[in-house]
Amino acid sequence: MPRSQGCAYSAAVFALMSAGCATFPEDAFRLSESALEMREIQVRTYEDVTEVQILAASSAVLQDLGYAIDEVEKELGVLSASKRADASNSAEVAGKIALDVADCVLTLFLGCENDSYKSSKDVQDIEMTLVVLPDLKQDGVYRVRLTMQRIVWAKNGTVYEQETISDAAVYQTFFDRLSKSVFLEKEGV
Amino acid sequence: MRVLLVLTLFVLTGCAASTAAITAGGSQVELRQMQTREYETMDRRGVLRSIVATLQDLGFVIDKADFDLATISATKLQKYEIRITVTVRERDSGRLAVRANARFNEDPIEDPKSYQDFFATLDKAMFLTLHKVD
Repeated sequence: MPRSQGCAYSAAVFALMSAGCATFPEDAFRLSESALEMREIQVRTYEDVTEVQILAASSAVLQDLGYAIDEVEKELGVLSASKRADASNSAEVAGKIALDVADCVLTLFLGCENDSYKSSKDVQDIEMTLVVLPDLKQDGVYRVRLTMQRIVWAKNGTVYEQETISDAAVYQTFFDRLSKSVFLEKEGV
Repeated sequence: MRVLLVLTLFVLTGCAASTAAITAGGSQVELRQMQTREYETMDRRGVLRSIVATLQDLGFVIDKADFDLATISATKLQKYEIRITVTVRERDSGRLAVRANARFNEDPIEDPKSYQDFFATLDKAMFLTLHKVD
C-alpha cells in the first residue's frame, strides 16, 4: 500500500473512532442562570390541604392524563410517571414523502432513495416527576414541584430528539388541572 | 504500515461486545473519595429531600427514590443523557455520607470537578433545608 494511501486510511479510522465521542458539558452539575426561573415555572403551593388529599389529587391528574405511575415514595414525596404518546406530525410526513417521490422522479426511478419519511417523528416517551412536600414553616401548606422530559423517536427507531421540557405553558396546563383536582379531592368528588 | 495494523486491531477490539465492561471500573479508593462527601447531621430525611431538590434544580427527573434504602436515581435528558445514583449512609461518627455516581451517555463520569460541582450545589440546598428555609 503506498504511504499516502496508508495515511488516508489511518485518518479515516481515527475520524471514525473519534466521531462517537460526544463531549461532556462542563456545567452539567452547576446551577444554570435559568435555574431560578425554571423553579418558579415548576413549583406551585397549595394551602389548606392534607398530605393524603394533595397526593391523591396529584396521582389522579396523572391518571387523567393517561400516565402510568412508575414510582411512589411517600416519605420523600416523590411520584414518577411516564407515558408513550403519538408524536407524528402529518405535515412533516407528507413533506418527506413528497421529497422521496421527487427524488425518484428526478433519478427516473434509478437508485432513488424513498425512505427519508422514515426519519420523521413517530412516538414520544414522556417522563415526569412530581415532588410533593409539606412547607417547612407552615402547616397545611404543600409545595409541588414538577419536572418533565421526553424522548421523541423517529419512524426508523432512532432518537429524533431528547429534551427537558422547559415550556412554561406545559407546566401551567398541568398545574391548572392539579388545582381542579385538589378542589375535587377536598369536596370528596 | 505498523501504525495501520495497530489502528485496525484497536478498532476491531472495540467492535467486539466484550464482557469486561460488566465489571470494569476505576480505582475503588480514588473513586469513592471523589464521589463521597460527609455532612455533620443525622437528619436523613432532610438530606434525602435536599438531594431530590438539587437534582430537580439541575434538570433531572427522578427515576427511583427509596427512603429506607436512602437511594435516589435520576436522569437528565438534553442533547446527551446523564444518569446519576445518590446514596446516603450513616457513619459511626454521627455523620451522614452522601455518595453520588454518574454516567454520561455510555461512559462513567470520573472527573473530580463534576462531583465537586454537584456537592457544591447540594451544599446550598442542604443549608436551606436544614435551616428550614424553602
